[in-house]
Parts: sequence; C-alpha cells; structure tokens
Amino acid sequence: MDRWIKFLLVIAVGLALGLVYGWVISPVEYVDTTPETLRADYRSDYVLMVAEVYHREGDLDLAARRLALLGSQPPVQIAAAALDYGLSAGYPPLDIALLQELATDLQTWQPDSGGGQP
Amino acid sequence: MSADEKNQRGPWYLLFGLAIGLGLGLLISWVIAPVTYTDTAPISLQAQFKDEYRLMIARAYQANGDLGRAQSRLALLGDPDPGAALVAQADRLLAAGDPDDSAAVLLALAEALGEAVVYPTAADTSTPTAAAAALPGGRPTPTRRPTPTPTAVSSPTPRPTPTPTPTPGARFAVIVREEICDPTLPPGLLQIEVQNAARQPIPGMEIIITWPGGQERLFTGLKPELGNGYADFRMAPGVSYAVRLLPDSVPAASDLRAPACTAADGSSFTGGLRLLLRQP
Repeated sequence: MDRWIKFLLVIAVGLALGLVYGWVISPVEYVDTTPETLRADYRSDYVLMVAEVYHREGDLDLAARRLALLGSQPPVQIAAAALDYGLSAGYPPLDIALLQELATDLQTWQPDSGGGQP
Repeated sequence: MSADEKNQRGPWYLLFGLAIGLGLGLLISWVIAPVTYTDTAPISLQAQFKDEYRLMIARAYQANGDLGRAQSRLALLGDPDPGAALVAQADRLLAAGDPDDSAAVLLALAEALGEAVVYPTAADTSTPTAAAAALPGGRPTPTRRPTPTPTAVSSPTPRPTPTPTPTPGARFAVIVREEICDPTLPPGLLQIEVQNAARQPIPGMEIIITWPGGQERLFTGLKPELGNGYADFRMAPGVSYAVRLLPDSVPAASDLRAPACTAADGSSFTGGLRLLLRQP
C-alpha cells in the first residue's frame, strides 16, 4: 500500500512539473498571430483607423472589408465593440465621433449593397 | 512476490510514476490546454497582416495628417526602421501590380517620416528596375535615393522636426508617483508619462508591465491628445505591478498597486496611479 501511495505521489509531482514546464517555462508560443487575436485596445485602434479613412473616403463597403481583417464577426459588431471600448477607455470626443459614425452607418449596411447610405 | 523481489525493484517504479506524471502534465499543457494568446500585440502578427496593418496606418495618416499618431502606430509593428519598411512594402506592391494604388499612400508616409523616396519621371533615362519593367505601362518603381554627394549648395527641402528620442545610456527614474482618486477615471488606471533628459515626451517607447503570473507590453504615444509620451494600463485591485522601459533591464518602478479611494458620498472605489518617468 505504501508503494502505491508513493507511486501516486510521484505521478502528481511529475504532473505538476509537466504543467509548470508547459505553461510557464516553455509554453506554446504564437509568433505568427492573426488580427483576430489582437488585444481590445489594438483592435479598437485598428477600427479607429478604418473610421478615420471612412470619414475621408465615404466608402462603406471598403470599410467593412477592412474590418473583416479583425475576424468573422459582422462589421457592425466589430465597430460597436470598438466604440464601447473607446468610451470606456476615454478616447477623445473626435475619435468617438468617428467610431460612432462608422458604427451607425454600418447598421444599415448590407454586403454588396454598394453601401447602406441613401 | 517475495519481499526480496520487491526490494530488488528499487525505486524504478517511482521513476516510472514520475515519467507518467510528466507525460500527463506536458500533454495537458501543450496539447489539451495550451497557453492561448488571445490578447496579442501587432508586433506578433504574421507578415501579411503586418502589411495590412501598416497600410491601414498609412491610409489613416493620409486621412488625418497626424504624423505623431502614425509614428506611434508604426512602433507597434516593431520594424527596426519603419520608414524603410514602408518603402519595402511599396516596392512589393508595385512589383505585384499595385491594383489599388496603395504604394503611393505608403510612400507618402515614408516621406513624412524623413525617408528619401525617388519617383523616376518619364524623362528619367536611367535603366528601369525589374519591378518597373514588370508593371503595366512601365510604371516607375520608387527606390531609396542613393546617398547624395555633398555640394556647396544646401538643399531647400524642408525636413520634418526630429522626434524626441531617449537619451542613450541613461536609465529612467521615477520623478512623480502619485495616487489618483478620480471617480470619473476608469478604476485602476495606471497613467505613465515618459520623458527624455530634455523633458521632451518620447513617443513609441516600449513599456513592459509585469505582475505575478503575467506581463503586458505598452507603447507611448497611442493617445497623442494626452501627450506623445503617454501610455496607460488598467490595474486589477490587490495586484502588485512593476514597470520597466526598454531597453532598461530593471524596473523603473515596482510594487505599484491600485489604491482604495473614498468618494465624496462616502462610497469606496478603486483609484489609479500616475507615474512620470524621466531620464536623468
């Protein structure tokens, strides 16, 4: 019985060592990530760039395609999430207005519609 | 099995158990539940996505004309020479036909950053590059200007104002460290301002924030309206953080914690910290 306890104990020790090695010392590294995995502030800044360009160009289809870089979510959701983040992080009013403009216009946008604006 | 046989086995069964445990641990940590990176930074993006991101920065610069913001954004990509990276990407686009005229946008930003770019004209009789020859209509490929021979005549070309840079060799020190109890600010907000020895805010500085079990990377200047040397971070209550500025190898400030504050109505809330870091 004593041997079984020792046996199980060393398995637990080995498990712990394996987890420490795999999670802390040498975790799986992702060096070639996709924009989908970007942190919220970087995603929001990317959306802000799209909004800045959209404000100048007025091409909603192009803006939606650019937002698609951030993942498969509908562009309006991506823009809305960036707007929420911008509001919570204290973006300046001008940036908020740009994000708001993009998010609002995307609400009426349909793919391949040529834009949602009348 | 006799007691002698058991004793002859020695500790091998323990090693066997350890190997099983290690195997299970690695299986869990590398295969079943590996560390996942959900909050990555642009610097870790695949090359093709970095190109997309860089182009978007250039387009945004074209739209807003804010060079400081463009510089801060470019710093996120970790290019050793952002201007050269823009030119190289423009070259690649032109070589591929540049269907949406993106190269010009990239080159405009490269020029604004002080990168010398030459657009050969139709009158240019020099041999076209391979990229230009491959383009429809023989569109010229911009190339980096060769080092000009110094002449007695000064160039009238206006140069951009130099961006403040860190003073080489000097470690950053904490000049101001104060608790901010402002309920209108996000809770746990760590506000960092970075200045060089000339008290100029430094954009694009890489800041590493560490805490037990994690670390985060920030760059100054992403909110130019708050200052080119500004960056912020949200601290969790009860966690101790350390702030290090690259290339310094030791933290400039440590044991940073979000303070507990009391509002005017007596309610408590989590406050923030303000750090001013400067090179001596």
